Amino acid sequence: MTVSAQIDSIKAEAITIEERSPFQVVMMRFIKHRLAMVSMAVMIVIFIITILAPYITSFQVDELNVDKYFVPFGTVDEATGRVHYLGTDNIGRDYFSRLIYAGRISLTVALLSVLISESVGIVVGAVSGFYGGWVDSVLMRFVEFMLTIPTLPLLLIISSMLLRNEDLIPIPESVLKTVGSIMLLGPKDARSAVLIVIVLAGFGWLSAAQLMRGTVLSLREQTFVEASRSLGATDIWIIFKHMIPNAMAPIIVDASLGLGGYVVAEAALAFLGFGIQDPIPTWGNMLSATQTYMFDKPWLPLVPGLPIFICSLAFNYIGDGLRDALDPRLKL
Amino acid sequence: MTAYLIRRVLQSILVVFISAVASYVLLSLAPGGPLAGLRQVQQNSRFKITEEDIARIRASFELDLNLPIRFSRWLVGAPTGPLVIGGKEYFGDVVVGCRKPIEAEVLNSRGIYEIKIVGCKEDVLLKDIVGRRTSRGILFGDFGLSWRLLRDRPVSDLIASRIPKTLQLIGLETILSLLIGIPLGIYSAVKQYSKFDYIFTTLAFMGSAMPSFFFGLLFILVFSIIPKNAGLPYVPAALSESIRDYTIPLIGEVVAGSVKDRFLHMVLPVAVLTILNIAGWSRFIRASMLDVLRQDYVRTARAKGLSQNVVIMKHALRNALIPFVTIVVFTLPGLFSGAIITESIFSWPGMGRLYILALGDYDYPVAMALFFILSVLTVIATLLRDVLYTIVDPRIRLT
Repeated sequence: MTVSAQIDSIKAEAITIEERSPFQVVMMRFIKHRLAMVSMAVMIVIFIITILAPYITSFQVDELNVDKYFVPFGTVDEATGRVHYLGTDNIGRDYFSRLIYAGRISLTVALLSVLISESVGIVVGAVSGFYGGWVDSVLMRFVEFMLTIPTLPLLLIISSMLLRNEDLIPIPESVLKTVGSIMLLGPKDARSAVLIVIVLAGFGWLSAAQLMRGTVLSLREQTFVEASRSLGATDIWIIFKHMIPNAMAPIIVDASLGLGGYVVAEAALAFLGFGIQDPIPTWGNMLSATQTYMFDKPWLPLVPGLPIFICSLAFNYIGDGLRDALDPRLKL
Repeated sequence: MTAYLIRRVLQSILVVFISAVASYVLLSLAPGGPLAGLRQVQQNSRFKITEEDIARIRASFELDLNLPIRFSRWLVGAPTGPLVIGGKEYFGDVVVGCRKPIEAEVLNSRGIYEIKIVGCKEDVLLKDIVGRRTSRGILFGDFGLSWRLLRDRPVSDLIASRIPKTLQLIGLETILSLLIGIPLGIYSAVKQYSKFDYIFTTLAFMGSAMPSFFFGLLFILVFSIIPKNAGLPYVPAALSESIRDYTIPLIGEVVAGSVKDRFLHMVLPVAVLTILNIAGWSRFIRASMLDVLRQDYVRTARAKGLSQNVVIMKHALRNALIPFVTIVVFTLPGLFSGAIITESIFSWPGMGRLYILALGDYDYPVAMALFFILSVLTVIATLLRDVLYTIVDPRIRLT
């Protein structure tokens, strides 16, 4: 009798585990990854700074200060009282303003590239994996074919060709205006940024498609798909309602690592002289420009170089943290 | 296996062919080329360049031929003229190009007037190209003539002078990466969760996120510019050998072009490439090693009473290296492209830098030749990797 009395006295809340949504579980696991959290914080700060670019900086990007070349850090502009926090470059443009606007452009290019390449990859991979057969073999042969071409040399060829022949790919004026307003560029300048996004995303979707296809192939055989089909679901419904949401985990990780990759890739193209060209600031072309002057002013390459490295590292850590957080088999 | 190999080889040939076509077309669409400066000269009244002169220059660069004809002459060295069968000529009157195009100013989509070719005054017929100088075709090892970098000299000369430099760099880098990267990866895996492992994984992670161009510049700063300005021993940062003799504190006088000089110039680029490569490779070895160390047969080997060294070197390492072999094979062509950036930073006169110079200077025959070589290398490496998979791991079957 006493035993049953004891059992009655235990409250239901005490023996049930607090219920958590999958999102909460992933978040809690992600928070445990310290470096990923630090990286996340760093990236949020960088994003906020670049979003507030026009309010933080006091100089125009292409504002030339005659006779004030390479002024040291923190020099005050006597006429207007504005401060060159990081000095000026070889033709007297404020380094700090250029750096922040460049960040805005570089990060937007990376974000857009990831967005486009992952979306294309998801759709192609899902269709390929879901339908199989000749659709699958045609699409995957094409992906394999693209992956056997040496990427960097081809990227260089394509971007050198596109930059010298900007009208080759027609881009709607509205797209240019939208992208231009995000990057704070005129539609004409935005064209080269959009072209770089197209070039980068044109290669980026390949791995996303392979990843997606692999996941969909295993999902296709699951019983809940069969159940959904027996209830009369259409292919489109199954793909968008079951396949894509369930395959998101690897895609999210890939996207996060991809962001770092695109920041570096964009900078590499600009560094080699085949990316976005000089009057428009990007971290890559600023770094490239410092090469000429670094013998006298050795700190110069660090200014645009560190942000590239920090972003690349941070996105990699975030990706790493997400990978661990999203893998249910891994115990943290 | 044989059927698979045959299919793959055919596929690879197709890949090389398509990528050659694609890049040839892309580069042909790019404006500029050897005629870029000509228009400006033409407008300058001191030099009277007649239409005939331009036609001749266009012909010497084969720019008067249609794209497919030009491509075919570049790829296989044909056609060189009308088909001759039994003393009779066929197809002699086929139009293969345009000697004197009609140019007109056309309003483009952005509202700017552009000079565009709208018609043709004088056609080039197949019988006209008899006796023109032509390459034997890139497939037969003749890469044609350079347009600008070494004007009218064979591209193969230019490339041949650069290949040893790139091979030096990449060869040394690969050997050093293997010698340093594998032991590091093994040690880190065996001492998992130790202080060494922690530091190593952090550094390797940073290394794989580090853009090579920034890393290269940092190295130049830290090992060349700053010590040089401070009067300390430094390492030269540009070119593969210096032009003049120089003195380095502690090391002493270095004669330009001597072995010592060349060695010193190699230190920085090789170090940059090696460190970044080690970061990737040793991380892979570590992961692969950890995977193997958890296997039952390793536990069995330990249970038998074998020494730690034997277990690690004989049982674990051999199996951990299986996937690594394929990684190494596949990164080799990647190293050539990776060298593009590093060679540019250090002005190293190798193939990668040549590629950048050729693309920037409109020397398309050189760029095309290098791209072709790289594609072939990549395709061979891909094929080799897939075949190696089956050789090193019999569980994988190719179909």
